[in-house]
Amino acid sequence: MNAAASPDDTLIRIRGLTTVLNGKKVFDALDMDIPRGKVTAIMGPSGTGKTTLLKHITGQMRGDAGQILVDGRNVPELNREALYALREKIGYLFQNSALLTDFDVFENVAFPLRQHTKLPEVLIRNLVLTKLQAVGLRGAAQLMPSELSGGMARRVALARAIVFDPMLILYDEPFVGLDPIALNQVLKLIRTLNETLGITSVLVAHELEAIKQVADHIYLIANGKVVAQGDPRTIADDGSPWTRQFFGGEADGPVPFQYPAGDYAEALGFPRGTTA
Amino acid sequence: MNARIGNDNVVTQALGQIGNCGLFLLQVLAAIPRSLRHGRETVRQLWFTGAMSLTIIMTCGLFVGMVLELQLYHVLSMFGSTSMSGTVVAIATYRELGPVVTALLFAGRAGTAITAEIGLMRATDQIAAMELMAVDPLAYVAAPRFLAGLVAMPLLCCVFCALAVFGGHLVGVSWLGIDNGTFWSNMTATVDVWQDIVSGVIWKSLAFGAVVSLIAVFQGYTAPPTSEGVAYATTRTVVASSIAILALDFVLTAFLM
Repeated sequence: MNAAASPDDTLIRIRGLTTVLNGKKVFDALDMDIPRGKVTAIMGPSGTGKTTLLKHITGQMRGDAGQILVDGRNVPELNREALYALREKIGYLFQNSALLTDFDVFENVAFPLRQHTKLPEVLIRNLVLTKLQAVGLRGAAQLMPSELSGGMARRVALARAIVFDPMLILYDEPFVGLDPIALNQVLKLIRTLNETLGITSVLVAHELEAIKQVADHIYLIANGKVVAQGDPRTIADDGSPWTRQFFGGEADGPVPFQYPAGDYAEALGFPRGTTA
Repeated sequence: MNARIGNDNVVTQALGQIGNCGLFLLQVLAAIPRSLRHGRETVRQLWFTGAMSLTIIMTCGLFVGMVLELQLYHVLSMFGSTSMSGTVVAIATYRELGPVVTALLFAGRAGTAITAEIGLMRATDQIAAMELMAVDPLAYVAAPRFLAGLVAMPLLCCVFCALAVFGGHLVGVSWLGIDNGTFWSNMTATVDVWQDIVSGVIWKSLAFGAVVSLIAVFQGYTAPPTSEGVAYATTRTVVASSIAILALDFVLTAFLM
């Protein structure tokens, strides 16, 4: 289940990742390679652990077994200092933006710079305005997070995620709530960051059409494993029941639509096994 | 820091909370050296917890002193000792009412705000965002608020005591006609700096400041990331702080007096 990449070209290498949460096996000996300098999308039905996988990559969660090598370092074995040093090279875009509500847009984007550098104020100002210009929100620098729409907040969070020019950006549902104009701009931005700065991007998303425009490779995960992978433009046609159900939006297939439950008729007060 | 425990027994839950709170205190203390580089944040919190609490502390201090003087005047007049009422107001305030009432007000005003703020920061992923930006939230969020509470409480207690004595003077001297010189001379002759001011005002308020700040930060930090979770955590801050203040007051009084 490995992407076609030599060891040097692989920024993230996951081997045998096994995680059990509340008695449920979220990952079952998961293997995955994220190539350096590419845009990789991770897709899958809701609740399959896509965001959880991002949390494993950033060391927010630890699995029960397996290796997660990021730039050659095994994340579960890193101590606090080493983990923080690694995180300085990683940008993370949250599903809900997670802007600091006490600070305005400018200070939110400047926050990582102020915490980790002693750059002069002029340079911080220029860097922040450059990133805000890139996401189209230079004019909103003085607004508070409460004054932003969901899409604007997402773009501010993106500006904050790229302010350090990281080697890796993890996007958790970056397209949710964006209008078509903002969506197109974010897609362009992800592609531009990837092409001009060589930043590796990992996207967790459900929008296949958007993914097709931006991603180089797709992983489809379900039942704790990679069930399909390949080129975004052709993966839907590979003929497997997983891709047929997921990309076709079918209720019946290997992924059950209904959460496990008892007999439906019995729950409604009819004799067990009664059908319409 | 996970405060959840599996046993539903109330006593076990309470003991589990106290144990988790103790472990959290060690983490916060270990984070204090790292928090020194966030000096501006500590000052911002000192302004929020200390300066912004001044209005309620001053108002309550004034009225506590006034009502205490009024009550004492009528009781002491039966023994012809009204001139001692100011002294009793001062000693009662310095030893007990000042630290205890200030701490209760501090828990209600600043403690709840700290819990709600941190709880909402966790619910909206702001704490997680800091961790992912390689900023230690214990050093940036928890330690500055803990330190601010520790510094603010003794200062607020001093203000409370000063206003209480002023309130006592206002009622006793200006309204009820006690001689001004007698009021002050009896007070200065009786009040002991070490036993009343240092042991009462300073030590007690330092201890109360540490306990209230710790409880407030801990409850916010471990609040479930839901609106109900934050609401319960805020309530727990007031309840736990009030019990801790009164219980600790008895222990400190027994050891310090």
